[in-house]
Amino acid sequence: MLEALAVFPNELAAGGLTRLFLVLFPFFVLLELPLSLLVLAGVIRWYTRNLMTTPRASLYRPRVSCIITCYSEGRDVQNTLLSLCEQLYPGEVELIPVVDGATANEATMEAVRDFRVDPVRYPNRFLRPIAKWQRGGRVSSLNAGLSHATGEIVFALDGDTSFDNAMIGAMVRHFEDPSVPAVSGSLRVRNSWHSLATVMQSLEYFLSIQTSRVGLGEWNTVNNISGAFGAFRTSFLRHIGGWDTHTAEDLDLTLRIKSYFGRHPLRIPFEPTAVGHTDVPDTLRGFFMQRLRWDGDLFFLYIRKHRHSMTPRVLGWRNFLMTLFSGFFFQLVLPFLIVGYTLAGLVLLPLNVIAVLAVLIYAVYLLQTLILYLAGLLMVSERPWNDLKLAIALPVFPVFMFFLRGWGVICTLNEMFRRGHEETSMAPWWVLRRGRRF
Amino acid sequence: MQSPSIGCLTRDPGSFSESRWHYASSLNELREQGEYDVVLVDLDAADAADVVFLLRCDARYHLTLIYAGRDRTGNAPELSDGSIPTDPNAITEAWHKWHHRLSEFNRGRYPERFDEYVLAWLWTRPEGRLKPVRHPHHAQFYYYPLLSAFADNEPVNEMVWLQLMMEQGWLERGPLTDRIRLCTHCVSARLNYVDVCPDCHALEIAREPSLHCFTCGHVAPQDHFLKQGLMLCPNCLTRLRHIGSDYDRPLENYRCRACQSFFVDAEVEVRCLDCDTHHTPDELRIREVRPYSLSEQGRLRCRQGFSGEAQAESHFGRLNLVSANAFTNLLNWQIQQSRRYGETAHGSLVLLRFANLGEALSQERGTTLLDSLIDRIRETIRETDRCARTRDELLWLLLPHTDRQGMDRLRERLTELNRLFREQDGIHIDLRTVGITLPENLLPQEDSDLLMARLGGEVS
Repeated sequence: MLEALAVFPNELAAGGLTRLFLVLFPFFVLLELPLSLLVLAGVIRWYTRNLMTTPRASLYRPRVSCIITCYSEGRDVQNTLLSLCEQLYPGEVELIPVVDGATANEATMEAVRDFRVDPVRYPNRFLRPIAKWQRGGRVSSLNAGLSHATGEIVFALDGDTSFDNAMIGAMVRHFEDPSVPAVSGSLRVRNSWHSLATVMQSLEYFLSIQTSRVGLGEWNTVNNISGAFGAFRTSFLRHIGGWDTHTAEDLDLTLRIKSYFGRHPLRIPFEPTAVGHTDVPDTLRGFFMQRLRWDGDLFFLYIRKHRHSMTPRVLGWRNFLMTLFSGFFFQLVLPFLIVGYTLAGLVLLPLNVIAVLAVLIYAVYLLQTLILYLAGLLMVSERPWNDLKLAIALPVFPVFMFFLRGWGVICTLNEMFRRGHEETSMAPWWVLRRGRRF
Repeated sequence: MQSPSIGCLTRDPGSFSESRWHYASSLNELREQGEYDVVLVDLDAADAADVVFLLRCDARYHLTLIYAGRDRTGNAPELSDGSIPTDPNAITEAWHKWHHRLSEFNRGRYPERFDEYVLAWLWTRPEGRLKPVRHPHHAQFYYYPLLSAFADNEPVNEMVWLQLMMEQGWLERGPLTDRIRLCTHCVSARLNYVDVCPDCHALEIAREPSLHCFTCGHVAPQDHFLKQGLMLCPNCLTRLRHIGSDYDRPLENYRCRACQSFFVDAEVEVRCLDCDTHHTPDELRIREVRPYSLSEQGRLRCRQGFSGEAQAESHFGRLNLVSANAFTNLLNWQIQQSRRYGETAHGSLVLLRFANLGEALSQERGTTLLDSLIDRIRETIRETDRCARTRDELLWLLLPHTDRQGMDRLRERLTELNRLFREQDGIHIDLRTVGITLPENLLPQEDSDLLMARLGGEVS
């Protein structure tokens, strides 16, 4: 053992740096490269396609229903409702704020009650609030809203998320194509500059949602339709039975829609110009607790609940491979490799070697981040000056992602052994207990 | 005792046990049967109200006692004298009172003209009031059923008539019921308040929201910002995406679609729905709607008759009254003289209080008694004495050069006279007197106001 350790200084002294590098460099890092290139190619394709097409005015103006799930947002709900009233979309928009546990969340209920839609200023906006006095969870709110929705298109939105005024117009455009059952919208962080945690999350949202999903959407492989912001064709959504109980109902619904892809030529576009602004946890603790839920849910959905859908026959080859690589391998397996490699390195390697390798790996990730960031900034961002400010967080971002990956291991383990998804705060225990166990 | 002839309009005569009453099943039948002293209307509330109104329109029944309905909760139809009493004797008793009062009216002359009828109706019913009733079909929304019923064929402008009565002091105002605004042209209250363009007075105006671009501060109507389905600031060309962070709506102005003028506040114009006259709101006539009742002067007028000057004819008017102000000045002068010249400038002040004046005036004999009492006072006092009334029931007498002896003599005579009447007729005027002689009873620093207040306290 000692002899083995003694090899490194010798090798270094002998100038075998290249050999050492080849021996020790964690090449699995490079496995992410094809995915990044795919995303980048998608972004470029989207950008050039956008440049080529002339904007056209469409007369497709279906009635839209916005289900806004509200819980303890309080007066913030009014911002959401106002931003929906302000939409430039000329068609009719039905606003359905669903207040879950309205008895307990009096302030939210009051805020919804107090909101008035001025019929002169907003002639095509209709407010039809639903109060669910007994708490039933997010899924029950969404399904209650769906059962009352009269629109041809239904939006699932969060009560603490407000929207740009071109949002509905940009999203609805895609539904003109009958092969589109759902559209994913872009999310930005509203409280970007509150703390270090929010700055890092802003950059993460910008890279992994706004930029990456443009690339993925271009190849019809959007990984998720965010629960805070998605649009669905009402008839399709009703056909597949609406939202299913359990946590991570958004990824669950995305996978269930995708399970038609193998048999039907459907597609889920991503619309980067439809922007929602949401609040993220402004402490690191809050952030990690949120990810404990989200990343744990990945295991629950991919491994427990949708194990049987993970075949090319159901998902189609393209989405099967993408789910296998980006969903399964990168999100569930890679964190274990990274943590394992790090721990092994810490035990086996001398400090200077670790330092060299760390710098190398950091450089690879930084380069990858930088390229994606520039692509996003130059081709996708609709607020480039805002996003330019996020550049100061770029050097820290690979470190942040490293810790996030490390945390991912704990999340997965928590789900694997403790069935963490059953502890979700998205629904009360008496609802979760009755849900089917996987 | 004479008993009244009673006509009863009912669909179920069997429910009444009185054989002397005359029953009729319809209004026409009742009218044809002749004239009754008292009419009972035993119908349900809505029908009874109509019948009572129609009866009141009939000159024969303008003043007659009419009882309607059997509702005991006090919701008797308007213009009736209450619901039908359960005790038939009560009807007879009430009729006697009514008859007695009517015989006192205008020195026994039965009313002939419209205003005499109204005053007589109020006179014969001590609690009677002219009550306004709201009705949406009426051009002014309020009308006085009694005036409408008595108006007969000559249309009466109720507002003008009431104003006239008020000016003459015969009626007094009750509490305010409502305040309405009327067209200056046709006096209709059916008005439409519309907001119009302040420049061209066109009706076609629309609210036009303005936007405020945060980037350059540009404020303009919303239309200027919308370009091909996007929101762009026309000044700095910034794309405005989100309310609150890129733009807001600072104001909402109006745009006239006729003359294109842009204004903050629309002008309010009032359009009469009857004659289509246009007014500004402050041009409208304002009318206060309230109930009216007979004033004391009006009551006096009813008793004394309508001919001649009321004041001169009234009881106290014969006393050569001076105004309260003049009286206090005279009293002050008397006090000053007494203080300065002492015993050589005697003077007395007597206060008479007719404590039950209202009650006494409502009785015929009471009135006579009051008249003779006042005649006696007039005989007793000298030409140099001065009288004044500061309140209805307070009569002041200032007797210059009269010492305590003279004053006491006057008081005794008055008391004696009052006692005499009481023994004869059983009618009682609660006359309280108090008097002082100057300068003996004068307190230091006391002036006329303080002195009168002191005496007023003693008789109250």
